[in-house]
Amino acid sequence: MTPSLPIAEIWVYLAGSPLFALLLTLAAYEAGVTIYERANRNPFANPVAIAVLIVAIGISLIDMPYTKYFEGAQFIHFLLGTATVALAVPIYQCWDSLRGKVLPLVTSLLCGGAVSIVTAVGVSRLLGADITIQKAMMTKSVTAPIAMGVAERISASPTLTAVFAVCTGVIGAIVARYVLDALRLRAWWQRGFAIGVAAHGIGTSRAMSIHPEAGAFAGLAMGMHGIAGAVLIPLVAGWIV
Amino acid sequence: MIRGLIILLGFQGAGEIISRLFALPIPGPVIGLVLLLAFLIRRGKVDVPIDIVSSALVKNLGVLFVPAAVGVVMFLPQLKANFLAISVALTISVTATIAVSAAVLRFWPARKEKP
Repeated sequence: MTPSLPIAEIWVYLAGSPLFALLLTLAAYEAGVTIYERANRNPFANPVAIAVLIVAIGISLIDMPYTKYFEGAQFIHFLLGTATVALAVPIYQCWDSLRGKVLPLVTSLLCGGAVSIVTAVGVSRLLGADITIQKAMMTKSVTAPIAMGVAERISASPTLTAVFAVCTGVIGAIVARYVLDALRLRAWWQRGFAIGVAAHGIGTSRAMSIHPEAGAFAGLAMGMHGIAGAVLIPLVAGWIV
Repeated sequence: MIRGLIILLGFQGAGEIISRLFALPIPGPVIGLVLLLAFLIRRGKVDVPIDIVSSALVKNLGVLFVPAAVGVVMFLPQLKANFLAISVALTISVTATIAVSAAVLRFWPARKEKP
């Protein structure tokens, strides 16, 4: 009898149940949040980015394929949809302060959205990226589930689309403070909205951690950009790429 | 808490059904958000069960992105050839997007308030 056998059996059992993936994901995020708080919520210590790195390194070390990990982690992933619905609550709480802001918000969204497409496609084309990459760049500032739906309609790669959307969220969450400070933007609703337009969910999560009003307006911007992007991007895609 | 979950999942499900029924390009949860927002505006307040569950979810929004984002990171090595173009394009574009949407709000002419 080898004494390692029971441990191996336990390991096989654990690897087959969602327990390991759930535990790893939650523990990695908790570590990410702890580091983020210790760093005084410095944007570079983005908790999502830290957690993702920990999980990616963790599953690579034990040779767990991503699909296997996702089988367990899908329970967390599923709640993303529920959390999207839940964003209605902070948006509702800011509803009264929306009066008189609708026109500037819609204008800000449309200008931001247009700039997002033109600069992403333009710069990647200028740097020699092929057409597949340019196409997937178009939806990068639209929240990933909507972006992937749009990708299908403009025949862009859904995988690349999701990759660029998630990377945009992380980069946006990191650079937002510096851009907004440089523009001397002080109102929380303005700061939050601008982050939400550019960096959808992960940007909203960052805004939520800084100020509830910024979080609510980021959520609003993410929802508006999602809806506008789903309708408008397929219309303009033809003459951009 | 259970009641709040039922309500949120109910709105998510309703959004999902509408999205599929009319083959809309907007996913169920976003339609669910719009429906819940309309419901809250009509009702005029946020009931405690909804508030409990939604604030728990919204405060911990970040963790929900981790499973999908891990897939993104695992995919990145395949983009090695275009890494520079992609990272420069994304960084410039996201910076420009934030700057332009922020500038529109910042320099929007203030309304003449009634005295």
